[in-house]
Amino acid sequence: MWSYLIGFAAFLLTTMLQMSIFSQWKILSGSADIILLFIVAWCLHDRNKRLWLLVLIMAAFAGTISALPAYIPLIVYFIVYRVSRLFQARLMQSPLLGMLVLTFGASLLQIVLNIAYLFVIRVDLNFTDALVEVAFPSILLNMLLAIPVYVVVREIALYAFPKGVEA
Amino acid sequence: MITKLFTPKNLRNLIIIMVVVGVLVLAFSGYLTPVFSFSVSPLISAQSWLSQRYLAFSDFFNSPRDMATLRVENAKLQNEVALLQSEIVALQENLAQSDILYTLLDFARTNPEHEYVAATVVGREISPYLQYIIIDKGSNDGLRHGMPVVTQQGLVGRIDALISDAARIQLITDANSTVNVKLQTAGVEGLVRGSVTGEITLDMVPVDTEVQIGDILMTSGLGGTYPPNIFVGQVLTMQSKQNVLFQTGSVQPVVDFSNLSAVLVITNFDSVDISPLVP
Repeated sequence: MWSYLIGFAAFLLTTMLQMSIFSQWKILSGSADIILLFIVAWCLHDRNKRLWLLVLIMAAFAGTISALPAYIPLIVYFIVYRVSRLFQARLMQSPLLGMLVLTFGASLLQIVLNIAYLFVIRVDLNFTDALVEVAFPSILLNMLLAIPVYVVVREIALYAFPKGVEA
Repeated sequence: MITKLFTPKNLRNLIIIMVVVGVLVLAFSGYLTPVFSFSVSPLISAQSWLSQRYLAFSDFFNSPRDMATLRVENAKLQNEVALLQSEIVALQENLAQSDILYTLLDFARTNPEHEYVAATVVGREISPYLQYIIIDKGSNDGLRHGMPVVTQQGLVGRIDALISDAARIQLITDANSTVNVKLQTAGVEGLVRGSVTGEITLDMVPVDTEVQIGDILMTSGLGGTYPPNIFVGQVLTMQSKQNVLFQTGSVQPVVDFSNLSAVLVITNFDSVDISPLVP
């Protein structure tokens, strides 16, 4: 219960930081998504069996705030959750590698779903601009911020899971 | 009598007085300056040397105590400086906010045909593909879905979703946003579209229309989404291809969307939802 509360409080703080600060830090037109990075890092640290419940709440929250349809964060966060479970089982010795791989994969998936959504609602989309101006800079920023976010989440996880977290 | 006056004693005094007066006259008239400087400079050097040694000696004994005192005073002053700096920053923020609100108030006064609710921008969209902002006013403040949002500069967007105390605004730079506009000089109508990169373009301008660079775009009111005659931007470039019906161009928006901090929501405009009529 304690870990859920800490996790959700940290998620709320991350969401506020994202909306007020990180959404305005741009390279070309791309920006970092520290909410996604937080969820990736949290999933890598949390071994709780009911983590999916927290992921569900986070996805619902992000889906409500964002103008994107709620199913996009839901799909991305649940895939992150499932893959993080696999990583916990198979890449236990290198969680940083897991963080980087998951960040890259999740960012890519989110961008693909974003573009697919815009395509479905018949937005006149310039794919070159969408990739060069938004997608690549966003992935770059996410990769740059992956390690700092991982370190911060690890510190928070020390309080949430006093029995120990992954190194 | 005269012999009494010129006694050797008096004569000596008289000579001394005359020499003193002469020296003084020479000194005051500046003739003795080289002599003075030549004779005084060794004295000054000696005085300076002595003074420096004394100060060094004095510092040696007194500096530890003074350093401690100075450190305490320095810490106090630094605290005061930090406090004053934070106060200055807070006051500057208040001043900037007041300036924005005064400008918005001026805009509201000069456009009395509309009723406005002022709101502060508190957040931005998470996805880099969408251009939305969050404001701190919602349905409790009389806001409704579809209400237009402006600043003193021009059109910002429209309310896309809202809760009791907050609302999400779709900016005109959003890829899914279209605004019907009229070109002030050319006198024709067109369509301003947003994009995923946050740039806006002018479209649907008839190919035979001569559009001047810098022509001002204002909302036309067509479609019922926005009220007419609100500034949108200026034409930057135009391009027309062969065998197409319409020419397109890039637009410089009048609103600086990267620095939006306060907006006005037009509350007495009911937007018309024509989406069921769109084939």
